[in-house]
Parts: sequence; structure tokens; C-alpha cells
Amino acid sequence: MQERLTTHTIEFPYTRTLGPVYSAFLTGMRDGQVLGIKSRDGRVLCPPTEWDPTTGDALDGDLVPVGPGGVVTTWAWVTEPSRKHPLDHPFAFALIKLDGADTGLLHVVDAGGIDSMQTGMRVVPRWKQERIGHITDLEAFVPEGSK
Amino acid sequence: MTDAKQDEVDPNAPVAGMDFFMQLEYHELLCPVVREFADALMDKRLIGHRCPQCGLVYSPPRGYCPICVVPTTKADEIELATRGIVTNYTVVTPVQYYGQEETEPFAKVSLQLDGGGNLSLQDLLEVPVEQVHPGMRVEVVWAPDSERKVDDITNRSWGTAEGAIQGWKPTGEPDASPDDYSDKVF
Repeated sequence: MQERLTTHTIEFPYTRTLGPVYSAFLTGMRDGQVLGIKSRDGRVLCPPTEWDPTTGDALDGDLVPVGPGGVVTTWAWVTEPSRKHPLDHPFAFALIKLDGADTGLLHVVDAGGIDSMQTGMRVVPRWKQERIGHITDLEAFVPEGSK
Repeated sequence: MTDAKQDEVDPNAPVAGMDFFMQLEYHELLCPVVREFADALMDKRLIGHRCPQCGLVYSPPRGYCPICVVPTTKADEIELATRGIVTNYTVVTPVQYYGQEETEPFAKVSLQLDGGGNLSLQDLLEVPVEQVHPGMRVEVVWAPDSERKVDDITNRSWGTAEGAIQGWKPTGEPDASPDDYSDKVF
């Protein structure tokens, strides 16, 4: 007797409110501008956080533009993207310290190939045409000068 | 979706929420008794197991009688009638949550099949929901050969078998007497 394999899919959509900091950050994304937030000691955190990582104080204002370009501080090459990954061809996940920021933003570098990746390389954002207020509005970073 | 709607109203309003979509896909190998049930459905047959001790019929078969706590086997398999009596019903008024494809009220009925065996959560066809009532005599409507499938049957299936059975339609016969089903209502 032949086996029967069945496939099931559970789906659960939901919406989460963002609060003042992430709302501002993602509104910036929609408008094509990456924002960071000033911590109490004057550093600029990007991505912005709601709390100062050093003192624990609440941070609720002072979002400042950063970038658009930045520097790759560390990266990992994805050889075989899964269907859940942001790009359908090989790419890098990377921490990117944007110009004017003191911390790294985890994002994607669409470099074409692993040989084009290097710690310390400069990258610039490639924005989607239609943006909705999501981190993926910034489709990927690409090597500076490659556009 | 929420953000998209907001953007339609005012594209410059701050982004207030973020949409998430959790999705889990998994595969399940049907256990032998459920696989036999599914295979039979593809042949337009409805099967069950009759408990050798108490005589209750389980469809889909479970491989055991949970009341007597005895196993049931292929030897206990019986073919069920595809005609029966509506013993109970529920009218569902759809709420348009994600994934709900129905838009109009519809009835799910419980059935007592001629000769034994009960099914629940069956679709009643050709009958306006306000006319659904216990005692109606109905017969099965199989899905056409080219469309019949059992992909939605699981090891925990209650026998809804929607891919194989389109639903049940009235036979046109007079209603059954309550005495015929009053102790089988569920």
C-alpha cells in the first residue's frame, strides 16, 4: 500500500504597534532615510533603541539622520538563500556602521559574489521604489561605486 | 495590510505598526488506518471500524475503541452507507478573519448513517440555512473524479473529508422519526 504524505500550513498574521522610537525609525525607512538615536553619552545608535544600553535610561527623542553610506564591520556569506531570505541569490548578512553612527546595523549586502566582500568595505543603500515602513524598504546595501 | 491602508489615507502619517506573518509548513505521514480511510474515499467508499466489544462505529477508523479500550483491526472494518439522517446542525456565520473564504452563512451537520456510523461537520448542499433541521434524510455528493483529493485529511481528522465529499443533499424522502436518531444526537 502506498504511503500518503500530507502537507499542512499554519498561518498567523498580526500587527504590532511600534512605539515612538521604532515608529520614527520605520517612518524614516518609508521616506528613504536611515535614522539613529542619540544616547546619553552622545553616541549615535543605529538601529535606534528605546533604552540607553549603558545607563538603562529611556531614549524617546533626538532621532538623527545617519548614512546613507557606511562601512561593513563584519559579515557572513549566504551561499544558498532559503525562501525566507531577503534575496533570492547569494548575498551577505553584514553589520554596517553607517556614517555618523557608532553602532552596527544588521542588514544585507548584495555584492554579486563572495570575492567582492571585504571587512571595511564601503557600502550604500539600494532602496525599493515602493516603501511601506519596513526594514526591507531598504532592499540591500551594495558596494559603493557599483551602482 | 494595516500600514498599506493607512498609507492610502495619508501617505505622510507616521508608521504606527508593523505587520508580521507567521507561517509553519509541515508534513505528516498518515498512519495506516487513516491511510486506508483516505484510500477508500478516493474509491468513493466510506469506511469505519466497528468495535468488536460494544459495536460502536468509528469513521475515520482509529484503530481502537476509546470506550472499551480495545484495539480494532482490519477485521473490524466495515463499509458505511452513504445515506443517512441529519441529527444536529450548526449554522456558521462567517467572520472575515484571515483565511476565512466563506462569506455567507452555511450549515455544518451531524449525520447518522443508515446501518450505523456517525459523521460530524459535514456540509449540507441545496438547502437554505433557515430550512436545515434534524431528521432530514440525505445522501452523499462525491467530488468529481478529476477533483477528488484527500490532501486535507490528517491523523487527527474528524472525517470531514472535504476534498473527497462535496457535501450531502436531501433525498426527498419524508423526515425520519426522532425515535430513529434521538439517542445519537451530538
